[in-house]
Amino acid sequence: MKSKLLLALLTVTLAGTAAAQVKVEDAIKFRQSGYGFMAWNMGRIKSNVEGTYNKDEVIKAANAIQAIANSGMGALYVPGSDKGTGWEATRAKPAIFTDKEKVGKVAMAFNKEANEMAKIAATGDAAAVKEQLGKLGGTCKGCHDDYKAKK
Amino acid sequence: MNRQRIRLWDLPTRLFHWLLVLAVGAAVVSGQLGGKLIDLHGKIGLFIVGLIAFRLVWGFAGSTYARFAQFFPTPARIKLYLKGEWRGVGHNPLGGLSVFALIFLLTVQVVSGLFSNDDIAFVGPLYELIDKSMSDRLSGIHELFSNVLIGLVVLHVGAVIFHGHFKKDNLVKPMLTGWKDVASGEPARGGGFIALVVALVLAGLVVYGASGIWLPPPPVAVETPSW
Repeated sequence: MKSKLLLALLTVTLAGTAAAQVKVEDAIKFRQSGYGFMAWNMGRIKSNVEGTYNKDEVIKAANAIQAIANSGMGALYVPGSDKGTGWEATRAKPAIFTDKEKVGKVAMAFNKEANEMAKIAATGDAAAVKEQLGKLGGTCKGCHDDYKAKK
Repeated sequence: MNRQRIRLWDLPTRLFHWLLVLAVGAAVVSGQLGGKLIDLHGKIGLFIVGLIAFRLVWGFAGSTYARFAQFFPTPARIKLYLKGEWRGVGHNPLGGLSVFALIFLLTVQVVSGLFSNDDIAFVGPLYELIDKSMSDRLSGIHELFSNVLIGLVVLHVGAVIFHGHFKKDNLVKPMLTGWKDVASGEPARGGGFIALVVALVLAGLVVYGASGIWLPPPPVAVETPSW
């Protein structure tokens, strides 16, 4: 009984520290890095469907996006990180931290299309990749419209 | 009262107007929906660049009532109109104000759009010429002004309905046919074939400049390393 309690206490403490480990400035940096890295890969896929199609390039890019999408970036929206500067001042709107349900929805929509993109990229079907790029981009916009501040 | 029928809007002005209606409508829809339509949005923008450039030239080279000087909304003219004493033909002073406002807003939209980016996979054709943070600024302006533009279009359509319904002055028909019954007024003159060719060539040049195809191509891709 006592050891169980201790274990529970330990779990809570560890879980607590695991989530709080990233300090605000770093959390914002990691967010911005993740989105920036995905932007590179989105651009790669786009130039492949517009120019000469290189299956391997697209697979690499799609897998990179998929990995970041599934990395649980939501954990980087730590309390207090609605303001602050990473590589630049954060453009995350405060609503991200309050509209939990809707943010979850747009984020999951993005994850779904990112997974789908990786699947389609593996087939090497350029036309299908192009179509999926539009869908995937649409889910980026789904979040940018409401939760990314304009400059 | 003997009314006469005059040639009011020349064909290029009318074509410009209705093509602009279609293009702006398509631009608004494709811009709001995004996704794969964003590339189409960029192409429509280039088309609007051409339309605006054409109209700017046509405001000097076109026929009587298409010329900016003819309907330039000076304070004196606006005052006269608001007192109900304006007796002109063509754009009334408030209508003229709306024309200039729309052209101005559309110019802001196309210029900001040419340098914009959506932080997804789209960049405007002249994005390369400026740095990212400037492009972000212009993208913000592009989005903000799209709402102002939509508001002004609603006002414009509202005014046309108001004139048709309450003042019994159908503004749509002359914009379609070019003819209008007026109490007195000179038919439109000028804006001949040569003026049209000049305006089209200049508009074409502006679209070429805006398209960025003259920009040096990106460096040739080197062999991609295996890592």
